[in-house]
Amino acid sequence: MVEEAGGIRVKVREFGGGIREVSLRRGVSVGELVKSLGYIIEEYVVAVGETVVTEDYLLNDGDEVVLYPVVSGG
Amino acid sequence: MANCSICGRQAIYVAKSGGLALCKKHFLEYFDRKVRKTIRKNKLFNKNDHIVVAVSGGKDSLSLLHYLVNLSKRARMGWRITALTIDEGVSGYRNYTVKRVKELSSTLGVELKIASFKDYFGYTLDEVVKIGKERGLPYLPCTYCGVFRRYLLNKVAREIDGMVLATAHHLDDVVQTYLMNIFSNNWSSIHKLTPSLTSVHKLFVRRAKPFYELLEKETTLYAILNGLYPSERVECPYAPLSFRWQVRKVLNYLEELRPGLKYSTMRSLMEATSLKNTALGEAMTCRVCGEPSSREICKACQLKAELGLLELRR
Ligand SMILES: [Zn+2]
Ligand SMILES: [Zn+2]
Repeated sequence: MVEEAGGIRVKVREFGGGIREVSLRRGVSVGELVKSLGYIIEEYVVAVGETVVTEDYLLNDGDEVVLYPVVSGG
Repeated sequence: MANCSICGRQAIYVAKSGGLALCKKHFLEYFDRKVRKTIRKNKLFNKNDHIVVAVSGGKDSLSLLHYLVNLSKRARMGWRITALTIDEGVSGYRNYTVKRVKELSSTLGVELKIASFKDYFGYTLDEVVKIGKERGLPYLPCTYCGVFRRYLLNKVAREIDGMVLATAHHLDDVVQTYLMNIFSNNWSSIHKLTPSLTSVHKLFVRRAKPFYELLEKETTLYAILNGLYPSERVECPYAPLSFRWQVRKVLNYLEELRPGLKYSTMRSLMEATSLKNTALGEAMTCRVCGEPSSREICKACQLKAELGLLELRR
């Protein structure tokens, strides 16, 4: 996903991991974002800010996305 | 954006079975309904039971402890609930998880019993793994851990007068175990993959899996919504090396390609176990340690013998 005119930027935080900024085109869903990061949506619960969202949630400029891994050892 | 199929508020979860979108309130109701159905259908608990909950400190077992304590109050079940944590002795891992269990059990006001490999077997898991390596045995940390942990859970649950041992196994765990046992053609284990497990052996503590019909994604969501999701990510260093880890990855990948695949695999398991609620567990007695066993010498004693920690006389 390349940055283009009218694109948005979101912060992605992996729970217990680092934060990175990602540039996306407008109209990208949480499900598409997770996929573009190389992850399987089955393995994450996704929140925007404090609120858990479904995979069809459309991202807005400045959103902070938090990925909670479903799969953990132990 | 999906809206709750029941009240129209913003949804946080879409249940693939039935395609229901659910808001926070209605997700928690759906979760509760599913667990209570499993408990009722399989007669997992009776009134006034002393339930021992196996709590590792991970999100699933913390959720189970939290859920059962709340259900006991709400439904006036009169349960006595004790949390039981096994400290395997994995450096840099257990210290954190034991801390989480202590915090939650004190918040919920339940008793906590911690039993360590070191106290009961004389060695920590790290030490056992090292001994295995020195003896040139196959590298199987999760096998040692699993066998010794199950052994201790039963023994200690009995020692503290537990009537039933509840574990946080969810549908993903059960389906993974089912597939792993298919791969190794181990049908006697498959027949024990029921929501509850009992035995004629008087030293065997009945097992119950209240989360049997819930997806791991659902138990995770319950943990997040109730503030039980661990704040630091601490993983067992051995876990990603296990075969289970690979099977889990593959299953999640396949579920994404074919939504509903986990449920249908579960239905396959139900057929394989002839839709039984309860299977019979170990009925023999280990001739070395006297604990319930499925053979003459239990798996724990067998592993100890291989590690040279125990001498078997004929
Ligand atoms: Zn609702
Ligand atoms: Zn034995």
